[in-house]
Amino acid sequence: MDVIAGLGQGFLVAFDPINLLYCFIGVFIGTLVGVLPGIGPVSAMSLLLPVTLSGTPESGIIMMAGIYYGSMYGGSTTAVLVNIPGEAASVVTCIDGHEMAKRGRAGPALGIAALGSFVAGTFSIVALMLVAPMLAKVAVAFGPPEYFSLMVLGLSILSFLTQGSMAKALLMAAVGVIIGLVGLDQINAMPRLTFDRLELVDGIGLIPVVMGLFGVAEILTNIEQQVRRDIVQSRIGSLWPSKADLKASAGPVARGTVLGFLLGILPGGGAVISSFASYAIEKKLSPTPERFGQGAIEGVAGPESANNAAAGGAFIPLMTLGIPPNVVMALLLGAFVIHGLQPGPLMMSQNPQIFWGIVASMYVGNIMLLVLNMPLIGMWVQVLKAPYKILFPLILMFCIVGVFASGNAVFDVFVMIGTGVLGYLMRKFGYEAAPLVLAFVLGPMLENNLRKSLILSEGTFDIFVVRPISLVCLLIAAALLVAPLLPALRKKREKVALDATD
Amino acid sequence: MMLRRAEFWGGLFWLAVGAFVAWQGWLLELGTLREPGSGFVFFWLGLIIVAFSTSIAIGGLRGEGPLLGDLWRGARWRNVLLVVLALIAFGFLFERLGFVLCSLALLLFLMTVVDPVRPTISIPVSLIAAVGVWYVLEKMLLVQLPKGTWIEDYIPF
Repeated sequence: MDVIAGLGQGFLVAFDPINLLYCFIGVFIGTLVGVLPGIGPVSAMSLLLPVTLSGTPESGIIMMAGIYYGSMYGGSTTAVLVNIPGEAASVVTCIDGHEMAKRGRAGPALGIAALGSFVAGTFSIVALMLVAPMLAKVAVAFGPPEYFSLMVLGLSILSFLTQGSMAKALLMAAVGVIIGLVGLDQINAMPRLTFDRLELVDGIGLIPVVMGLFGVAEILTNIEQQVRRDIVQSRIGSLWPSKADLKASAGPVARGTVLGFLLGILPGGGAVISSFASYAIEKKLSPTPERFGQGAIEGVAGPESANNAAAGGAFIPLMTLGIPPNVVMALLLGAFVIHGLQPGPLMMSQNPQIFWGIVASMYVGNIMLLVLNMPLIGMWVQVLKAPYKILFPLILMFCIVGVFASGNAVFDVFVMIGTGVLGYLMRKFGYEAAPLVLAFVLGPMLENNLRKSLILSEGTFDIFVVRPISLVCLLIAAALLVAPLLPALRKKREKVALDATD
Repeated sequence: MMLRRAEFWGGLFWLAVGAFVAWQGWLLELGTLREPGSGFVFFWLGLIIVAFSTSIAIGGLRGEGPLLGDLWRGARWRNVLLVVLALIAFGFLFERLGFVLCSLALLLFLMTVVDPVRPTISIPVSLIAAVGVWYVLEKMLLVQLPKGTWIEDYIPF
C-alpha cells in the first residue's frame, strides 16, 4: 500500500510540467551522448551537473537519471549502424547488431534493441520500487563497520572486473581515495595535502576530475588516431521486428532483464558485465550457436535488455545505502549532495517526493525513450555523420564551460587539464580510471567510517569481523582479491577482460 | 632493454607518488588505533601504493608489458601535444581575454591547426559556438563568465 501511495506521489512530481521538461532533456541528451562515440554518460552528466543547481533537487536528479538510462538506449544505435559502441555497455551489441545491419536488417536490430530496452527498463523500475523500501529498512541497522566493509567490497568488485592488471586497478583505487581526501580533515579540520593553496582547502571537485579523466582524456586518445567510421549506408527500413524476430527475442529479453537487474545491484560495472553475461548465456542456450556473430537477433535482444535493466538496478544501492555502485551513480550522488540531500535508508521517509519522483519519472522517461528512439533514428544517423574533427573542439569547449561554471574558478579548469593529461597517460600505460573515480567519491566516507569504527571498538579491528554483514562483505572482498593469484581464476578473469576489449 | 618497458616507468612514477603520500601522512600524524590521526589513512594507503607500484615496476624489469616507444608508435602524438598546450594557454588567458575571445581562439586553433577543416566550416562553427554558449550561459542561465580583465574596458555589453 505504501508503495502505491508513494508511486502516486511520485507521479504527481513526475508530471509537473517542469519535471517533464527536465526528464525529456535528460533522455534526449542521454540518447545523443549514447549515440555519439567519444562522449559517454559520465562526461555528459559532469557537464550538466552545474545546470541542476538552477532547478529543484528533484528536477535536476530526474534529468541526470534520464541521461544515464537514455545513454543505454542511444548506445545501441551507434553499435548497430557504425560498429562502434556509443558507450561501454553496447560493446557486445556491435557483434550481431552490425552484422544484421550489413545484411539489410538494421531496422529490426534497432527496433528490438529499443523494445528490449523498454521492457527491461520498465521491469527494473518495478523491481526498484519493490526492493528499495525493503532494503532501506535493513540498511537502517548499518553502522560504520558495515558501511566501511561494503565500500571495500564495492571497490574490490570494481577492481576485479576492470580490464588488465588487478594490481593497477587497486593502485588506482588507493590513488582515488587519496585525491578524495585532499582538503580539510572532517574530524579535526586539519588541512591535508593542500600545499597552502586556498583552492584546495575544500578539496578537489568531482566535476573537474571526472571531466578530465573521462572527457579530456577520451578526446586526447581519439585525436591521436585516425578515426574511421563505417556507417551503414543502406536504407534502415521498418523498425518493427517480424513475428519470428519477436518470438526469437522473447526469451533473451526476459533472461537479460532479470540477469541485468541482479548484476546491476552489485557494485562494479554492472551494465557492461551483464551485457556480456547475457550474450554468453544466449549463445550457450541457443540450438544454433553458430548464428551468433553472423547477425542473430538474440545477440542484440539479450544484451540490450541486460544493460538497461542493470542501469535500473544500479539505483538500488545508491538510494537505499547511499553508496554508489559505479561512476555514474557516484555523479548522481554528487547531484544529491550539491542539493544538500543524502541518499540512504532515511531518504524514503525524509524526502519521499524525491525518491518516488525519480522512480515515477523513470517510467515516463522510458516511454519518452521509446517514442524518441523509434521515429528519430534517421536524425541520430545524421548526427553520427558529423565529423569528429568538428565535434571534438566543441566537446572540449563544453568541458571547459562545465567545469568553470561548476565552481566559477579557473583553478578547476587547470585541475581538469591536469587530470585529462593524467587520464590520457593512464590509458596509454594500462591504468583504468573507473576505480579511481569511484574511490575518489567513496574516499571521505571510507575514511570517516574506518576512523569511527576504530574509535567505537577502542582500537581493535575485531569490530569488522564480529558483525555478520561486515564479515560477509570482507570475506567476499578478500576472495576477489585473492582470486587472481589462482592460475585458473586468473585465466578466466583475463578472458573476461579480453572479451571486453575485443 | 628492461629499462625501456612502460611498466617499469609507470611503476616508478606511482612508487614516487606512494612514497610521497606516506611521508605526508607521517608528517600529518598517524595518531593511535584508538584515535586515528589525520595522516593515518594517507600513511597506510601510501604504503599500499608503494607495494603495488613496486610489483608493477618489477614486472617491467622482468620484461612484462610493451616498450615505452611502442605506446606512441603510429600515433598522431603531435595532436595531443598541441591540444594540451592550447588548453594550458586557454587556462592562463581565460580571465584576461574573457570567455568569448578565448573560446573563439581555441576553437579556431583546434579546427585549423590540430585537425584542419575547411575555413567555410571552422569560422562559422567557432563563431556560433562561442557566442551561442556565451549567450545561453550569461544571458539565459545567468552564469557569470570572465569578461576579460585586459579588454573589459573596451566592450560595451
